[in-house]
Amino acid sequence: MRDPTFAVLGLFDSAQALVDAIPPVKSAGLGALEAYTPYPIHGIDPKLGFRRSPLGGMVFVMGVLGAVTALFFEWWMSAIDYPTLIGGKALFSWQAFVPVMFEVTVLFATFTAGLGMLMLLNKLPLFGHPMLAARSMTGITRDRFALGIEGDGERLLDVDACTAVLTAAGAVEVEVVPALVNPGWTATFATRSIFGIVVACLVSGVGMYWGIKLFHVLPPMVHMQEQPKLMPFEPSTFFADGRGMQPPAPGSVARGHLPYTFKALEDALSLPNPLPATDKVLARGKKEYGEHCTVCHGALGDGVTTLTAAYGAKPANFHTQTLREYTDGKLYHTIVVGKNAMPSYAVDLTEEERWSVVHYIRALQRAQNARPEDVP
Amino acid sequence: MSQLSKVKTLIALAVLGAAGVGGTFAVEGAQRFWANWLVWFLFIATIGLGSLFIVALEHLVGARWSVPIRRVPERLASLVLLAIPVGVIALGALPALYPWAHEGAQLSAKVTAKLVWLNVPFFSGRAIGCLLLWAVAWLFFVRGSLRQDTSHDHRFTIRAKRFAPLYMFLFALSVTLLAFDWVSALEPEWYSDIFGVYIFAGSFLGALAASVLCVLGLKDRRRLDGVRADHVYNLGGFLFAFTVFWSYIGFAQYMLMWYANMPEEVYWYKARIEGPWMVLFLTMGVCHFIIPFFALVPRDAKSDPKRLRFVATLMLAAHLFDLYWLVFPSVAKTPLLGWPELSFAAFFLGVAGLWLHRAFKSGRDMPVGDPFLAEGLEFHL
Amino acid sequence: MSTSLAAHPDRLPDALRPPSLTDGPVTLGQIDDQVLAFPARKPPLKWYLAFAFTGSLALFGLVSLGWTFFEGLGVWGNTNPVYWAFDIINFVFWVGIGHAGTLISAILFLFRKRWRNAVARFAEAMTIFAVICAVIFPLCHTGRPWLDFWLFPYPNERALWVNFRSPLLWDVFAVNTYFSVSALFWFIGLVPDIASMRDRTAPGLRKTIYTILSLGWRGAASHWQHYEKAYLLLAGLATGLVLSVHSVVSFDFATSLVPGWHMTIFPPYFVAGAIFAGFAMVVMVMVIVRETMNLQNLITMYHLDVMNKVILAMACIMGYSYFMEGFTAWYSQDEYLHWGFMNIISGTYGWAGMVTIACNIVIPQLLWFKWVRQNYAAMIFVSIGVTVGMWFERFVIIVISLHQDYLPSAWQVYKPTWVDFGILLGTFGIFFSLVLLFARVLPVIATSEVKAVLPASQPRPELHVHAPEPAHASAPALAEEVADA
Repeated sequence: MRDPTFAVLGLFDSAQALVDAIPPVKSAGLGALEAYTPYPIHGIDPKLGFRRSPLGGMVFVMGVLGAVTALFFEWWMSAIDYPTLIGGKALFSWQAFVPVMFEVTVLFATFTAGLGMLMLLNKLPLFGHPMLAARSMTGITRDRFALGIEGDGERLLDVDACTAVLTAAGAVEVEVVPALVNPGWTATFATRSIFGIVVACLVSGVGMYWGIKLFHVLPPMVHMQEQPKLMPFEPSTFFADGRGMQPPAPGSVARGHLPYTFKALEDALSLPNPLPATDKVLARGKKEYGEHCTVCHGALGDGVTTLTAAYGAKPANFHTQTLREYTDGKLYHTIVVGKNAMPSYAVDLTEEERWSVVHYIRALQRAQNARPEDVP
Repeated sequence: MSQLSKVKTLIALAVLGAAGVGGTFAVEGAQRFWANWLVWFLFIATIGLGSLFIVALEHLVGARWSVPIRRVPERLASLVLLAIPVGVIALGALPALYPWAHEGAQLSAKVTAKLVWLNVPFFSGRAIGCLLLWAVAWLFFVRGSLRQDTSHDHRFTIRAKRFAPLYMFLFALSVTLLAFDWVSALEPEWYSDIFGVYIFAGSFLGALAASVLCVLGLKDRRRLDGVRADHVYNLGGFLFAFTVFWSYIGFAQYMLMWYANMPEEVYWYKARIEGPWMVLFLTMGVCHFIIPFFALVPRDAKSDPKRLRFVATLMLAAHLFDLYWLVFPSVAKTPLLGWPELSFAAFFLGVAGLWLHRAFKSGRDMPVGDPFLAEGLEFHL
Repeated sequence: MSTSLAAHPDRLPDALRPPSLTDGPVTLGQIDDQVLAFPARKPPLKWYLAFAFTGSLALFGLVSLGWTFFEGLGVWGNTNPVYWAFDIINFVFWVGIGHAGTLISAILFLFRKRWRNAVARFAEAMTIFAVICAVIFPLCHTGRPWLDFWLFPYPNERALWVNFRSPLLWDVFAVNTYFSVSALFWFIGLVPDIASMRDRTAPGLRKTIYTILSLGWRGAASHWQHYEKAYLLLAGLATGLVLSVHSVVSFDFATSLVPGWHMTIFPPYFVAGAIFAGFAMVVMVMVIVRETMNLQNLITMYHLDVMNKVILAMACIMGYSYFMEGFTAWYSQDEYLHWGFMNIISGTYGWAGMVTIACNIVIPQLLWFKWVRQNYAAMIFVSIGVTVGMWFERFVIIVISLHQDYLPSAWQVYKPTWVDFGILLGTFGIFFSLVLLFARVLPVIATSEVKAVLPASQPRPELHVHAPEPAHASAPALAEEVADA
């Protein structure tokens, strides 16, 4: 059977009077004691029989947890998952990790202290408590001190006995605080909560959508993408033809493509190959030959390819006596100027690449005309 | 232990130590002798100076709760007087330990340019000036307070409050000089402008630890009745807070020099952290910060005499190790711990013990002439 | 016949007399009536005029910020080599000002200085508003502020983490922690006072808001027990923050290699400077609150006197720091450091160096005189001087060191733009607008805290239950001897 009375309050006008009244009321043993005051009264907790607050231990544990968590994550993020060398510092540079570790410790500890005190220990916010409807509450938060005998759950409060004890202990006024009829969950509360949650979800959902999808394409957020500078293939009103990209001015020389000054073959005949016949040069020559020359001259340099069959063209066979007697300079000249059906490859190959190809052609020629001494 | 047997033990300690001290000079050489002497001079001077600072601070802020225990740091402050002869003798360390004081030493251009500041006469003048300043301050604050026991003249309290700010200013300059001259000039190319604050933090903490030990000791001997757990809790709280402060200053200096990694700064730390010195560095971190911090975190620990005694003793030892760690790496490649160090410890603990034994007989155990003693005794948390 | 002087404060000379917390006797109810009446009624015309002024400054600031977002950071004066200028100056300035509130709330609470209760509430509020102003700068000085969330270590599709070795990131954590902790501490302190307001208000919207904000606080002793413990723990933790936050801000400079920045004394020097500037701002606001809200009996001249003494003490610490910097500039024999130091007073911005020294060291020396500490005009003059001086100190540290460092070919004179000034003025507008709003809506004095420390508000001490001290014969004799003084 529920107790219709929540508490019997005795009201006092000073902290001293309240504290003096505690021993007689406590020894009467009519229920659990609680005091209500406008500010904390020193030394009242042991007198009312309260145990020490566990908050200190909770905060310490959470603080240590904060420190360990921070240090662990800093280590894992900086030394394991995304290790970057910054300023030559070690990956686990604990000296640099201390400030963040300290701040996170304080953060964990303070939120435990604040929210732990409010929510866990004091069970606030709580708006349905019977005391909030008491007449004396106005005085309690102002200048009145109340000693309450509350039901301890085992028996009903004897209102008359409580009133007598409190008055005898010096209370200037006694109030009987009724228990709430329907405390806790109500249909209205549930409806309002669900409605509130739904609204919160809608608002946050729409907000996030807007934030992620729309916000960052509005100016000025797009100013980095849409910069007042010319990007490749954009039109431009600066030039007469309306194009942003213009060909190089006449007479421009591409790097690695100095103009070839030898018009006549005779001048080029004695050009020496400036590159040494190293593995690297030959490898390059092979690569370039493969990309540019194989299609007509064949992989073996014999001029036999699908082109010859299909189009009746006759690319040179490097292994004929004539071609084997070509000087390096003549080969080079041919690459640059072209010959008959062969176009100029000056644009496709830089100087160095051409000479590498020449080396490779020589290697091909030797391969197909090997002497017994060439065999290792 | 009775008074007489205590005195006898201290004398025996001092005499035995003196023999070892003399032996060190003869057998181990001047450098080791002077290094030890310097460390102990710094220890005595910083504890005395820190205690004097506590007294001056209490006058400056008009603290009432600390009046009943103020006599303890006042008596500890007499160590600044002992520091005078020890310090004058310590001036002999200059040619042995300080490169710029060697005759015919090869000094870099930067150090040569500093010789106008780092030279034996000017250094000695500054050192003696500071020692005299501290002695004058002792005369003012401590002798004045002792006199007030009998005269009950509250004008002393007013004068002390008025003079305290000026003393604080002079104290700041003199403790900075102590740090820059005696300690940082061992490596004349190195500098750190927080060093004065670092030595100050160490001194304050050491003096607090010594005061806590003495207050608890006197309470045990029923000489400080009226001083309750509330007062002891405050002392414990200060010990805790300034452990954190010292650690913060020490860490700040270390981390900043580690971060910038400038050769002209880190060489000082490299000498003190690499190789065998690493053990001492870590031990100091544990004894000067980790253990005291976690030991004093719980509320009850701050007023628990057993816990406080442990932490305060550890703190004093850690302060000594701190000074050792500051001085010795400039002298030796590896930590030196042998009979020379133990004899110096015996000698100076004996001498300082005797000095303090006498000091703790002067005046009453509480400043009975102070107008706020009653209010201080009534203090409740 | 004679009893101890301390028991008869009126017989003590002025210098030793303990102050009374209030001017004249005050009852518990009177405090509520005085302080809690303000949120309940409409403010006078001068509040609206003040708000209009500060609001327009704030608006100008917001326009400047908006212009910065739209056009980019080029509208500021920051350029090679002065890449940090007004933005970081203002950030450090405002974070510094916030530290005073935390010191008053937390550190003075730990020292049990009961006079702090009357001023702690609005000092804490000032901390929060100052941090709000401060946080604007690191958020807006990034080139793309809408991507500021990248500063936080969250798992992301770019597969990278933030750089924990950077002091700028330590700032992110420090300032965020500072803001959260200050807000939490402030709010927790407000709960009992909002409960008082709840109980004074007639039913209606305001009462509902107060009911919700006070979380249903009912003044139960079992609640107060945990509350006091939480308050003590928060005060202790906030004390650690006071030291650490501005130290972390100083690390932004001290970890670098810029001559004049890499000084190990920066952490405590910055913290002292922060307390210095913050207390000056608190004194100014305190004078305004005291006079406009007629709270002279609760915020007494003693409060102002002590605050001014703290400002004086901090000025002396700043003087020591400047002296150490100067001495080190010579002692280091580092020609760059030496030249950099001389440049502060004799270079292009030598006038700024002079202003700094004059306002931070010279002018506060006036506070040695009691009549200055207790005279409105004088103390406001000193406080304004300190505020200006501390702003210029950050200017000196940042702009002077940056605009002429190692390579003469990189030297450049820095010129701030109207946008820079606009944002600075705007933050003052934001700060004072928030202060005005706070005074309008919430109790400026922590009424429950002040009630707790009034004389006769606590029961007599022998009812305390602490470790029992056995009585000893010497104690009464000693007390008698003291009483004979």
